[in-house]
Amino acid sequence: MPFEPDAIHDYIVAHSVREPAALAAIYEETKTHPFGYMQIPPESAQFLQLLVRLSGARYCIELGTFTGYSALALALALPADGKLICCDISAKVTAVARQHAERAGVADKIAFRVGPALATLDAMIAAGEAGRFDFILVDADKANYESYYERGLTLLRAGGLIAIDNVLWNGTVADPADIDPSTETLRALNAKIAADQRVDISMLALGDGLTLARKR
Amino acid sequence: MPRSHDAIRDYITAHSLREPPALAVLRRDNETRPRFNMQFTPESAQLLQLLIKLMGARRGIEIGTFTGYSGLAIALALPEDGRLICCDVSADYTQIARRHWAAAGIADKIELRLGPARDTLDALIAAGGTGQFDFMLIDADKTGYDSYYERGLILLRAGGLIAIDNVLWGGAVADRSGGGVETEALRTLNDKIAGDDRVDVSMLALGDGLTLARKR
Repeated sequence: MPFEPDAIHDYIVAHSVREPAALAAIYEETKTHPFGYMQIPPESAQFLQLLVRLSGARYCIELGTFTGYSALALALALPADGKLICCDISAKVTAVARQHAERAGVADKIAFRVGPALATLDAMIAAGEAGRFDFILVDADKANYESYYERGLTLLRAGGLIAIDNVLWNGTVADPADIDPSTETLRALNAKIAADQRVDISMLALGDGLTLARKR
Repeated sequence: MPRSHDAIRDYITAHSLREPPALAVLRRDNETRPRFNMQFTPESAQLLQLLIKLMGARRGIEIGTFTGYSGLAIALALPEDGRLICCDVSADYTQIARRHWAAAGIADKIELRLGPARDTLDALIAAGGTGQFDFMLIDADKTGYDSYYERGLILLRAGGLIAIDNVLWGGAVADRSGGGVETEALRTLNDKIAGDDRVDVSMLALGDGLTLARKR
């Protein structure tokens, strides 16, 4: 649900979203999925594409692949020699994402890793990949967000960017009466990042709330 | 679920805004001015700073300096050898800007050009500035926006960024029932950029609406 009034949101979408057919196909197909609401909205994905292009990012990680909308969006924005590592716990949704990436001709840019993302990230750090990545998108299980953020900071180069989705959690983070565990987790992470001198930040009411944290 | 725009906006400000003292002083100084609403919002300025750092931008142009808030924010984000050309027609307002820039110790990064911005941009193009700039901020007279945008695309390098403020104009652009010449100018530009294949775009409901257009 957008945070701006519907008429404004519709105007913004009509005047800025340029969704390629391959992405529209994922969106349509995933709408009927029981967790279809988990998809990143097209305007957020397009903004991430812009950031990837602006920063000249080449090595990227995505946490929470789901059916592959943001993975495909990022892969389309990467240069020909760019690489994206996509982490998800589910082999089933990852297979869907892979199929869409293959159909769009960008599967060679993506390495799909099925399993707990924390284990995947720890293995990468152990393999000496700290400081190697340009861009990380966090859009997975909220309970582990802080761990993803910390490992993300380790894996990023100085000047690299972490984008964190769902930081407003449908606005519930701003409602003190809401004590749902996911809400509390996001609130704690938002408070931590607000004071975190390791990063330059911006928090946007885009999609379900998007935090940008640039490693200093 | 809190849908209050104010509650969410306050939450975002509390969890992301890190206004440096020099900018806070300038903003408080502005609060008593009759045209205070012309000032760039702190959240937008902070995003622009992040984008400048992310891109590694060095050379920028600002159209519409007013009392210097965005100019100061940009200069603070630029590297030591970064340069910003600020364009405005008002000697009065920019005198205030100069004072704040000097106090913040970044005056040497800024070159202020007084006069119609279109003339300044044409002079830059005539002097060989084509393709020499990394970014441009447009935040001036709305009826001049299209000509600034076109000249901006000439002056930017491929991969450079134009940021355009006030594109939602208090939401008036989305209300087809009316609006003055400024609303109409913004609507026309928004329509044009929506279909402009020379740029990658994103339109954000940040401040009074911010369009980001990256030259391809």
